[in-house]
Formats: sequence, C-alpha cells, structure tokens
Amino acid sequence: MKQTLWMMILCLAFFSACHKADDTGVVNLGIDYYINEDPLVFNTLRYQNEAGNRLMITEIQWFVSRVMLQDKNGEWIPFGAGDNLYYFDTDLPETHHIQSQELPVGHYQAIRFTFGLDEEDNITGRFPNPPESNMFWPVPLGGGYHYMKMNGRWLNEKQELAPFNLHLGTGQNADHTVFYPNHFSVTLPLDLHLEANRKNHLQLTMIIDNWFRTPHTYDLNHFGGAIMQNQEAQQILKENGHDVFSICTQNTRWSDIADPVKAIMGKAAPKPHFYTKENMKELLSHITPKNSH
Amino acid sequence: MKPSLFLFLTVAITMLWTGCKPSEEPTHQPTPYQMPSPLFFPTVTNIPSDNPMTEEGVALGKLLFFDSLLLSTEIKSLRDTPHSSLLSTETKSLRDTPNSSLLSTEIKSLRDTPNSSLSCSSCHHPEHSFEYGPEASPDFLGTHHAMLPLINLAWNTNGFGWNGSVATLEDMVYAAYTDPTEINADTAEVVKRLQQSDTYPTLFEKAFNTKTITFILVEKAIAQYVRSLVFCNSKFDRYLRGETQLSQDELNGYMLFITEEGADCFHCHGGGSNALFTTNLFYNNGLDSEFQDPNDRFAITHDPADRGAYKAPALRNIALTAPYMHDGRFNTLEEVIDFYSDSVQYSEQVSPLMHHVMQGGVQLTEQEKQQLKAFLNTLTDTP
Repeated sequence: MKQTLWMMILCLAFFSACHKADDTGVVNLGIDYYINEDPLVFNTLRYQNEAGNRLMITEIQWFVSRVMLQDKNGEWIPFGAGDNLYYFDTDLPETHHIQSQELPVGHYQAIRFTFGLDEEDNITGRFPNPPESNMFWPVPLGGGYHYMKMNGRWLNEKQELAPFNLHLGTGQNADHTVFYPNHFSVTLPLDLHLEANRKNHLQLTMIIDNWFRTPHTYDLNHFGGAIMQNQEAQQILKENGHDVFSICTQNTRWSDIADPVKAIMGKAAPKPHFYTKENMKELLSHITPKNSH
Repeated sequence: MKPSLFLFLTVAITMLWTGCKPSEEPTHQPTPYQMPSPLFFPTVTNIPSDNPMTEEGVALGKLLFFDSLLLSTEIKSLRDTPHSSLLSTETKSLRDTPNSSLLSTEIKSLRDTPNSSLSCSSCHHPEHSFEYGPEASPDFLGTHHAMLPLINLAWNTNGFGWNGSVATLEDMVYAAYTDPTEINADTAEVVKRLQQSDTYPTLFEKAFNTKTITFILVEKAIAQYVRSLVFCNSKFDRYLRGETQLSQDELNGYMLFITEEGADCFHCHGGGSNALFTTNLFYNNGLDSEFQDPNDRFAITHDPADRGAYKAPALRNIALTAPYMHDGRFNTLEEVIDFYSDSVQYSEQVSPLMHHVMQGGVQLTEQEKQQLKAFLNTLTDTP
C-alpha cells in the first residue's frame, strides 16, 4: 500500500513537471509582402509604383527589433526573450516566421517594433555569422548593419531594365562626419486573444507600394539605383515607412483569404486603398475568415 | 519475487556483464584541434559532427595532401628526387625550370595513366594560396573552371566550388580524386597503397582509432587539414587589430572598396566586419551577356535568374591567385579592375547589386584603380 502511494506521488510529480502551464502561450509571427494589391511575386516586371516606375523585386532582406505587444492594461511586453531582434530574408524560408517567448494569455491591443536597428542595437560586428553578417554597413558610412536591402530592377527613362538597390541604414553627410540614424518605430493596433495550447498567429505584411508614396512620391528615375550615400533618399523612405506595415491576427490573415480585396470591397479596390493602420478597423469588420478557429 | 531480491539480482547481473565485457576504450584518444577565432570571422564553423578536427587528423591530412606515396612509381623516377615526401617542393622546382609547361604535360599524362594518382599538392600550391599559380587557366589544367583558393574554408557554409555543387570538403576530396579532369585516381588503389605502407596504418590509428584504412578516412583526414588552413594575418588584419597603419593609397583603396559610390566591392566580397572577404553567395557579375557554361549556378538551382552566376570568391590573397574569374579569363588584377570599372556587360541575369551596369561599370579613374589595387594587396597573407 505504501509502495503504491509513493508510485502515485512520483507519477503526479512527473506529469506536473511535464504539463505546460495554462496561463501562458506563444505567438507565431509570419511575414509576407504585398504590392499593387497582390502578394509579391519575385523577378517579374508586373508592378508599378506611385511615380509610374515599372519595377520588379528580386529579394528583400531586413531587420526588425524591439518587438513589443501591448496588453489590455497598456503594458508593453517584449515579444522575444534576449535580443528581441529579427532578420527576415525572402531567400531564406526559415526566416519567414518568428516565435514569441511564453507570453501571458489574454487580450493584446497593439504591436510596436523598430524598423531596422536603433543606435543601441546597431553595433558593428554584433552579427559575426551569415546571413546577418552580410548585412553589414561600412564603418565609414556609419557602421552597423543595413536596416533593409530591397533589390530589384526598374524600367528607366531610356526604357532599360536597370538594377536598383533600396538599401536603408545610417545616413551620412558628404564628408562622412555627421551620421543620421534612419530607423523608425511602428505601432499598429491589434486584436489578439492569446490562448494557451493553441497556435496564435500574427501576420505582418510589408506593403511595398507604400515605400514609394505618402507623404513623398519616390521616383527611381530621380534617385537612381544606389542610395546608401544619399541621405535625402534615405529620409524620404524613412518618412514613407510610417504606413508600410499592417498586421492581422490568424483569423484575418490575408493569405487565408482567397481574394482579400474582393472579400473586403466586393470589387477591386481603387488605388491607393490598402491595408493600413488607419483603415484596419473598418477592413476587419468586413472580413469573413476562411479558416475560423 | 521480493523487490529487494529482484533489485539485488539486477545489480549483480549488470556488474558481472560489465566486468566481463571486453573494453571498448580507444587505444588512442586524439587531441582536439583548436581552431583560431580571428577578428570579424564567423563564430560558426562548418565542421561535420562525424569528422571533428584533431591534432592527429590534421597532421595525417597534411601528410596525405603532400605525400608522394600516392604517386605512381613512374613519376617518382621521372622526378628523380631522393626525398619525395613533399611533392610541392618537387613541383616548385619543376615550375622554376625554363620549360615550365613540362609540369602541365606531366600532370595531364598522369591523369591519363590508370592508377598513377597525383596528390593534392600537385596543383594546390601553398605559395599561391593553395591554387596552382598564374598559369592555371582551365585550358591549361584541363579542368571545368579555374581553381579556387583552399583557405578559410572551415567558415564556408554554402557549398564548395564555383557553383556550390559540392556539399562538404569531404565530398570535395572524393570529387578531386575521382574526377577525370583532376587526379583521376582509383580510390581502391589509393587505399591499397596506403594500407601497404609502413607508416600510414599507425597514423590512421592515431587519428581515427583504426589501422584499417578506407577512402572515407582519407577524405576526412584531408578535409581536416584543409579546414586548418586559416589565413588571418594580412596587413589589413594587422590594421584592423591596430597593429599597423595603411598607407594613404591603401586607405583610399579601402574607401573605394567599401562604398557604394566607389567601387562597391563589399556587397559581394565582404570586408570590414565580414573579414572572410566573401559572402559565399552566388552572383552574375556581368562578365558576359550570353551564357553557355553548363556548370554555372543555374546547373544547381535551375533558376533562370542564376544563369551566369558563380560564387563570389574570397579576396584574401587575391594577388597570389591569378588567373581570375571562373574561367580564368583575366591574368592580372589590373585587368580585373578594368573590367569592373568599364566593361561590365548587361543582361537580364546580371545581379541587381551591379547597379553601375548601365554605365558599363563603376567608372574609376586611373588613380582610383591604382589605389584599389594597393588595398587589395594588403589582403596578402603568408602561408
């Protein structure tokens, strides 16, 4: 009898240790890209920006840092433990998703992150290994890392398919004595009910069109193919970046919806109607998710 | 049966079985090899878990890399050297003879003779960053592509060779031994000769705990040696470590190398906080506008965007590794710099990072070309 009792206690202790707590859960954050109201398809000259440049995208590599979720009490909670900064690379599928640390279950009302790396995070040599190390930004130009490399081609004024490198990072003056951090902070409203023991999903969408518009129209014919040493171009992209990102929870993930524009509008949306933090609430109210959980 | 009796019997049987079991302790425990951690090199190495580096493995690999034991009797007598253990010495002396094409003829004839195995050092010369040397165009050697240097490969995590078709250094050793355009050896014959030698079985035992030699162990040993070839003490390294200063021309050349409005070399070739001086990625750098090579990156990925793309080679020791490009078309650094300055070819496949392509290149002045070359020379390291 005594032995049986001990066995029961041991089993109970074992299962208690293995059982996951019900008061925390994790969030999977996926990344995707939209342009001209469609999911981005690489290496195809089918897109047009606000300035009328016809263009294609070949790859996008970028950093996000200081990702925070705001709970219902207004408290900001770090998405990830440790550095809480992330590298995304359209050529590397393993970077298309990130997972949060264990977070308290409950309602989250906003997400905030830094596009790129702020001065505290942007330390030369902090990423010794590829692929992040290939993002280094030369020390004479301010050091640290590219915030983003968006490479592609556009049909220039001579109707040549010319390469462009939209490389964002630390700007500098002409003689490289003054440096300008060009990272920026993004805050987006959220309607996430984080639950334990289920897949909680957020989808962060980069709307590529918006790099080239609002408030400034960015013309590739004007700025050319390379802008690492052009602070004017960097500043414009920084200011255009405020509405480049949108976010949705799993139930309203764009890739779960066969035709998102039609689902929302009933017809093709007129440009520049798109999914921004301003129209997000209205859009969400119209959507009937394909995969509700 | 009472639990206490059961427990006693279990323990007793286990002890008895353990005591009777023959010892599986290795006869020799190899000493782990300490890889250096140079400044701004990656911290992640590409060392397979089934081939950890050891002092004994590296030493054995070095011997195999150079040793003429693998040569045929004919070539030994042909070379007429009393101490033929270091083939590189032989080949060097042969290259120093006025009729330097003799070696190439010799190598080619060896390749055509069954089981007349060459060693790695027949072509990979330390004084040329483990490439052959300036003569070694693919036409000269009869290989698919020009050679790539065998240095700092422990940090290459993205395939080997110009198109990245070889997954590991071990596979590369096998490929080099068996490729008709390289050593063209019968691996069974190589193993037989090693097994019959007086010394190799003991050396394999020290490195791998077995006197039974297999070609897999040959691959492992040579791969270990190649991984140990670390070059991190060039003038530029000493500059990064604050131990020396670059000249003004060298510094200007570095600024050109590292800036987008300069020569913009760094996006593909690293530098600064990527001290390997390569991204180990594949690019079409605008050498041609049409692509015929069946062994480019496209052959591996089948992605049309990869036509005419090749791995960006590491630029360390670049002054020692002529001829340049995958087909060895340029014989000097001046020709390479002239190409990137003025002769880049447009195609739909050219990498977007070649953003100066519409102007034919980065448009350097003669002085800038000299300065860029001066900087590239600071990447030269001594073996």
